[in-house]
Amino acid sequence: MTKETPKELFEKGLITRDQFNKIDLVVSRKIVSVFYELRTLLYLGVMLFTTGAGILIYQNIGEFGHIISIITLSILTIVCFWYAFTHVPPYTNTKVKSATPYFDYIVLLGSLLFISIQGYLEFQYGTLDENLGASTLVTSAFFFYIAYRFDHTGILSLAITALASFWSISVSPQKWYSGNFFSGSNLHIIAIIFSSVLAVIAILLDKRSIKKHFTFTYLNFCMLIFFVGSITGLFMGDLYGIFLLLIYTGCAFAYYLARWEKSFLFLLYAFVAAYIATTYLLGRLVIREEIFLWFFYSIASCGGFIVFIIKYKNHFSKEK
Amino acid sequence: MKSAYNETSIYNLAVIKETKRWYKHHFIDQQQFNTIAEAYKTPLYHPNFIIRILLFVATLFALAGVSGLFFLFFGSSNEHGILTASIFYGIISFIFLELVFLKNNHYKSGVTEALLYHAIGFTIVGISGLFDFDNFHVTLFCCLLIFSFSAFRYLDLLCTIAAILSFAGVLFFEFYSVGGIFQQIIPFIFMIAFTITYIVSKKLKASPTLRIWRNNLLMIEAASLLFIYIGGNYLVVRELSVNLMDLSLEPGDNIPFAFIFYGFTIFIPLVFLYWGIRSKDIVILRVSLFVIAFTVFTFKYYYSLGHPEVSLTGAGIILIALSIALFNYLKIIRGGFTRENLLSEKWGNVNVEAFIISQTMGGNQANTVTEDTGGGGGFGGGGASTDF
Repeated sequence: MTKETPKELFEKGLITRDQFNKIDLVVSRKIVSVFYELRTLLYLGVMLFTTGAGILIYQNIGEFGHIISIITLSILTIVCFWYAFTHVPPYTNTKVKSATPYFDYIVLLGSLLFISIQGYLEFQYGTLDENLGASTLVTSAFFFYIAYRFDHTGILSLAITALASFWSISVSPQKWYSGNFFSGSNLHIIAIIFSSVLAVIAILLDKRSIKKHFTFTYLNFCMLIFFVGSITGLFMGDLYGIFLLLIYTGCAFAYYLARWEKSFLFLLYAFVAAYIATTYLLGRLVIREEIFLWFFYSIASCGGFIVFIIKYKNHFSKEK
Repeated sequence: MKSAYNETSIYNLAVIKETKRWYKHHFIDQQQFNTIAEAYKTPLYHPNFIIRILLFVATLFALAGVSGLFFLFFGSSNEHGILTASIFYGIISFIFLELVFLKNNHYKSGVTEALLYHAIGFTIVGISGLFDFDNFHVTLFCCLLIFSFSAFRYLDLLCTIAAILSFAGVLFFEFYSVGGIFQQIIPFIFMIAFTITYIVSKKLKASPTLRIWRNNLLMIEAASLLFIYIGGNYLVVRELSVNLMDLSLEPGDNIPFAFIFYGFTIFIPLVFLYWGIRSKDIVILRVSLFVIAFTVFTFKYYYSLGHPEVSLTGAGIILIALSIALFNYLKIIRGGFTRENLLSEKWGNVNVEAFIISQTMGGNQANTVTEDTGGGGGFGGGGASTDF
């Protein structure tokens, strides 16, 4: 790919003069798009601001400046939503093109500030200890409303994580590293049920053509929660047969969804989960502590897998 | 020596990739895209990103098995024997990569990367091990040589970055080990050396005969710019002087010629920014944004006011205001810049963005009674791991 490529394509008659003129402007950098640079700046800005403001309102509680900062944040939240509501087109079930390139970050900023203030008010007026559950549920409901009203996948994933945390499931790879994914016992069972129910709802919504482009986000979270939950159950060891069946069923389903949504990510989940489950089973029954067998197993299984993927490469190359 | 690949195949693949972007942005229609894909047919096997990850991981596991067996046979010999075997094994891996996969038109298929890194790893560990691991001259030159070779022959981008880092390492440690005045001028050596690298790579990038290495040269370009800045950055110079060159600073003391480095820290980002806007060069522009952030960090590091939350909020406000202002300013094309998304980047995918947002912006804490944070306390998860 060089600067001369558009010209070459044009001379071969593969693109028209009109198209060449347009494309050449971009490729030869007569026009440069700074869309992603500005979006990244805005994203960093929103992140820094909400983090800073979040810390600020918890400091100096009870002092005068503190009340001012709360009022300022509330006004800012109102401004954000005022902007959002005046600029948003009426609700539809399909994808909406946003009014300005920064529209969705304004919505995000407003929502995050709203949550900060809500959290602060509960903290200040002492309703927090008893009603933490209710509060996450309110948060989640609010996020779902915003996500659907303003057609915002980012807020949708916040809504799903909030809903999951209502059920005490923490959806974050950062937590998986530290091994705190399930802070209590039997949470993996809740995780499996939660993700299955949510997946069913997501598919029903999709079938009714309500925000079809949200389905991927829903299913992505569902699969992550489901597989981590069932693999945790598997490694607990007592009822591993049941969890094994669950994982295989999940994989079959994920494979089906991967074809349906044309998503290679789901395919990745299915393969990885199936591999972990099978390895666990074989390790328990056949290989045990034979280091030689383990080496041969890794060569044979992974080698076989590579050959399989390459042999059926056409099957795995449908573009999304 | 030349690339391991057929040049036309690589070029055709790049054309197909590029025209696919045009098609997705409705510059051309599907019919045209299909015709172009037919005209620029390539035999290379280059699967999509997720499949590449799958193949990469699977290959690493399979290779772990192979290496395990290999060293079970050689493990009983003495240390020299193992290290020689390791070099030998690394070289065999290179040959295996070429004969089995590259001959069958694998191009960055996940398998090739895994095999390549595996081969590089064993060769480098073997060679530097033969010199007892503590001879950094040998280790660094060996890294530089092998990474450059891999970057050049297999067009690998990670190897390109590794080669640049090794180059910086060689430059630094060779001057460092000479000692005396040569240690003092390392910052200037860095700035001069990487300015030359930058200019050369930029020249080479424009040459059509080197078009298959375009992305590698782009990496070198960006890395050189970063190193020019790092060479002059006050924080880097000061901390390295204190830690490596036994410069002891009393409170209130400063490094020699501090004002020069303060100057570099402030002016290099501004020069980059100006030059980036002026020449409409997106590489310099991005690097300049990054180093501006690092300059702010440098000054906050030494002159902190002790209120990080105020700085955070303030920086947030400035960034939000600035980017929205620029968005509005670039509503029409000005100076060749536009706010519109002309051709999407690989990572400019809405779903990735949604995931990043969910991982960095609150809503993450589990609902356990022991946690005393409310809805607002859990922000700022920091670097999200986007295992996408």
